[in-house]
Amino acid sequence: MSSFFIGWLGKGTSNLPKGAAPRLLIAGAMSMSLGHAVLAAEAEPASGGIIQYGHEQEPPCLAGPWIQQWYLQRQFSDNLVSRTDDGGIAPWLATSWTVSDDRKTYIFQIKPGVKFTDGTPLNAQAIVDNFNLWLSDDPEKLNNAATEYVKRSFQSAQAIGNLTVRIDLKKPYEPLLDVLSQSTFGIQSPTALARGRQANCEQPVGSGAFIVVKWNHGQDVILKRNPDYNSAPANAKHQGPAYVDGLVWKFLREPPVRYGSLVTGESDVIYDVPGVDWADANKRFQVIRHITGGTPLRLQLNTAFPPFDDVRVRKAFAYASDRRKAVEVSYLGAVPYEGNGALSQSSPEYLSALADAYPYDPDQANRLLDEAGWTARDSDGIRLKNGRKLTVRIVYGAGFLVTSDGIQALQIVQEQAREAGFNVLLVPTTQAEFWAGKNRGPHDYEVQPSYWTATSAEVFQIVWRPDSGNVVNAMNASRFQDATLWSLIEEADQTFDEAKRIKLYQEAQRIVVDSAAVVGFVPLTVTLAVNPRLKDVWLSSAVGAPVFHDAYFAK
Amino acid sequence: MSSSAVTLPRRVSPRIWDTIAISGRIPLRVYLAATVIAFFLASAIAPQLLQSHSAFKMDLRATLQPPSFSHLFGTDQAGRDTYSRIVSGARQSLSIGLGATALSMTVALFLGVAAGLGGRLVDGAISRFLDVLFAFPMLFLALLFVTVFGPSVTTQIIAVGLGTAPGYARMIRGQVLSARGAGYVEAAVALGHPFPKIVRRHILPNALHPLVVMMTLGVGQAVVWASGLAFLGLGAAPPSPEWGALLDAGRDYITRAWWLEVMPGVAIVAFALSVTVVGHHLQDRLEGRIDA
Amino acid sequence: MSMTLAARIRALPFGGASRHVAWFLRRAIGGAAVLWAVTTFTFVVQSLMPGDRALLIINMAAGNITNPSQAEIDAVNAKYGFADPIAVQYLNYLWRLLHGDFGVSYQLHRPVIEIVGAQILPTIVLAFSALLTAWFIAIVMTVVLAGRANPWARFASGLQIVMATMPPYWIGTILLVTFAVFLRIFPVEGKNSLIGLVLPTVALAIPLAGFIGLVIQQEFVRVLEQPFVTSSRARGMGDFGVRLRHVLRHAVLPGVTLSGWAVGSLFSGAVLVESVFARQGIGGILVGATSARDVPLVTGIVVISAGIYVLANVLVDRAYLIIDPRIKLA
Repeated sequence: MSSFFIGWLGKGTSNLPKGAAPRLLIAGAMSMSLGHAVLAAEAEPASGGIIQYGHEQEPPCLAGPWIQQWYLQRQFSDNLVSRTDDGGIAPWLATSWTVSDDRKTYIFQIKPGVKFTDGTPLNAQAIVDNFNLWLSDDPEKLNNAATEYVKRSFQSAQAIGNLTVRIDLKKPYEPLLDVLSQSTFGIQSPTALARGRQANCEQPVGSGAFIVVKWNHGQDVILKRNPDYNSAPANAKHQGPAYVDGLVWKFLREPPVRYGSLVTGESDVIYDVPGVDWADANKRFQVIRHITGGTPLRLQLNTAFPPFDDVRVRKAFAYASDRRKAVEVSYLGAVPYEGNGALSQSSPEYLSALADAYPYDPDQANRLLDEAGWTARDSDGIRLKNGRKLTVRIVYGAGFLVTSDGIQALQIVQEQAREAGFNVLLVPTTQAEFWAGKNRGPHDYEVQPSYWTATSAEVFQIVWRPDSGNVVNAMNASRFQDATLWSLIEEADQTFDEAKRIKLYQEAQRIVVDSAAVVGFVPLTVTLAVNPRLKDVWLSSAVGAPVFHDAYFAK
Repeated sequence: MSSSAVTLPRRVSPRIWDTIAISGRIPLRVYLAATVIAFFLASAIAPQLLQSHSAFKMDLRATLQPPSFSHLFGTDQAGRDTYSRIVSGARQSLSIGLGATALSMTVALFLGVAAGLGGRLVDGAISRFLDVLFAFPMLFLALLFVTVFGPSVTTQIIAVGLGTAPGYARMIRGQVLSARGAGYVEAAVALGHPFPKIVRRHILPNALHPLVVMMTLGVGQAVVWASGLAFLGLGAAPPSPEWGALLDAGRDYITRAWWLEVMPGVAIVAFALSVTVVGHHLQDRLEGRIDA
Repeated sequence: MSMTLAARIRALPFGGASRHVAWFLRRAIGGAAVLWAVTTFTFVVQSLMPGDRALLIINMAAGNITNPSQAEIDAVNAKYGFADPIAVQYLNYLWRLLHGDFGVSYQLHRPVIEIVGAQILPTIVLAFSALLTAWFIAIVMTVVLAGRANPWARFASGLQIVMATMPPYWIGTILLVTFAVFLRIFPVEGKNSLIGLVLPTVALAIPLAGFIGLVIQQEFVRVLEQPFVTSSRARGMGDFGVRLRHVLRHAVLPGVTLSGWAVGSLFSGAVLVESVFARQGIGGILVGATSARDVPLVTGIVVISAGIYVLANVLVDRAYLIIDPRIKLA
């Protein structure tokens, strides 16, 4: 049956016994195909055809921890569990599981008869091998997401039967199943993994609906249908192999080229609809949008040093710019505004009351700045205190953390904040420089926009973890290390009472937003524009990876 | 100069100031080109006089407007007036063009004259050095600079300046060598005139008179190359209205707001073209193809 | 060195051909010296650039900023030899290079020679076809119109100047949107097809055609006034024949010199055009590799492209000799 995906916003329950009633809010963008297209007609899932998919960025490896790799990995590998649109957990490779009363032992039953595409059987030992690899100490082998989320609480993984996996934790970790649904934890063939890194980068092997055939560097990845596929998640639209014969995953970086290829028909579906084409895309194509969970792309304010060591100045900065309008005008509807800087609106624990935090209020901004002692002004109108200018350097990753639409919005923020007396400077940094630490030193920035993708509030553990010993938590660019906040997060991560857990995470959000350690901007979104002749493409709930297993070409 | 009774004929080479002061036949296109250059120079020096709006002021209700009477070249994604942005960007783009050319010429002069006048050893060493510089793709040198020193107008000037210097150095070296080998110089040497004087009075003026023309042709090219760097995202940070940065920002909108990509390009072409036309005219005059 | 060696070679039995051999040898050694200098400069500069290389490699593998411990950083430093003094790193690199081992890319984990080999062909194809197209346009314009008094000739002259000043990526973007997206005459995605080569080639060729045209036109006009041309006409040769057969041969010389230099410029232009048209090629890799301080890959690309440049110039000089035999093999 032809169906349409609607992006859910709102809270949901997990698959555990005690749950709160889900409340569902419809997302701003619904997907439709208008015109004469087959809205109501039921198209038979016909076999055949090759999907031409225009993706954007090419990763250096086909499997691994980059978000681009997660999208690819969803095509050729399966996970233990799947996340449903309302935040629940559905069976996938694990047909059922039990959790011990002390919440420290998980036992998974694995689906029988599943094989990797290189013939290796997918059994409990294979899964255990994957776990051990993710959590290894060898930097060439480990999975960074695993290290950040799971390593602290992980004790061991064992195969206690041919198809039974037992995971032991050192302490309860409630988000474990959510984390395992992220496609970076897709199970790869141990035989293939033993080939070493280079082979695995080039042609990784999983049990998924598609098989990686060839990677034409700088151009595309060719995938073909796995005819023996029998391990689709429970929330897939159908079980069994994919309908299409193959998938060409192209790398089209330039927005006019990518959208242009959809318009001319050279692509059947493209990723990341440019803001400037959003209205047109909604008229001509089926547009699907997933608002990714975890943190939104928010502005982290450096609370460790002046001027943002003063909470009044932070709040003034938040009030000084009309970020909502800036986002509206720059993204042109493709991406909504997110006022809650702490958590993305698609996370079940999201506190919607914070969505309008710090509305545009230049009077309030000016008042706060005067109160904070920044009363003098220079000839350009920039505020001064003890002779120092109120300078705000926004260090951002040009083209990879912040897209060109985002850069546009930042310029609007810059201009508006200037009226309140902030001297805002934009400091674009290339990806490699950013990773090498450039412009990220403690004195190099006042604002650092960034995000961390996750399914929901389990991300707090990563972004708010306090520094320990010599290791500075680079994910916490705000340097905000509030003891109350961390204890709330730790408690929430170990609480299984759903209602209580949500309350704790919401308290945490309140602290973060009230202290203006971060200021809201936009959520991370995955958008696809699909030619109406291609049906049943959907985005997975975990992190918005495109799923083509159910897709077919209408006759 | 010397006590010799024989005065040597100077090679006839009209000096620059001779040609400019004369009212001879100047084609219309040169007048037009000069006007365009004047317009851009004025934009660089006093943009406020030529702008219709502020280059940075945003008008969020008038975004992506096509060209009209109120906005000559339309507006961009934030409602900023494109024409005013181009005018305001002239200062940066022109300083990159002029700065890069000046740097380029200085380095090229130094290397070229040294190679031309120095002995076999010096010439050999400098020529090898130039060979090596030539072998680098210019963009690579530019990338290196930007990666080390960070993107900015200064880096663009240095990158483009050093990237184009070897070509000019070779030309100057060739000119110096041929001037040095000219008959009258041999005669001067035979007559016992001191070498530094020969260099100053004969070799350098004859070798360097094409320099002015080279510079005018080079300025246009420098602006084009610098905008290429900005196009790759290696130019000055936003909201800089430098022309290359405008091209970089505009290409995402080209299907719906063509003026954002086309107009800055037209500005670059117009400027480089005008400078080239004037340069060619000067060249024609200097080489005597036009009656002074 | 060259004089005595050449003289000695000339004294050998096959003295005639030895001049060519000596010339070639000299050029080969010169080229090798250039390549060595290029390698050294690139390697040293990349290694000395500011920033933490180990942190960069760890974060690149992780795809995000991470919190590595000092032990992890030390492990990476040990593995790649970053802790060694620069001289040691350089000598190791040079030693491997002399054995044909360009090393393994830090970010792509594949041998550099494999990466470059796969991607250099599209760039060469693009640059070469742009060069040919540019020459074609320039020659046609010159032969048909140069030196004539009609307004078309003046227009062509002016057009060449305009062409020479147009940024190739700007033309490319406009061509792409006009002919591929709106008019659908060409595909939006070029890939490796012949038809996908057309728009990028034209974008690169136009400025170069302008340059070459300007240069050979001047020479063309000068040669037109030579006595031998007049005598050819007197012997009854048609105007077109004269232009094509006699004048062109002399006029192209400065253009040929220009082409040698143009190879380097075409490479840089190809970087920009490849990004506009989403084409495979060295350009995209170089930009990413430079900012990622992927020393083996950057050095590999620069050395290989310098090698191509040197080779191209040797060929150009050889072509010069063929076109104008008066030039001696000095």
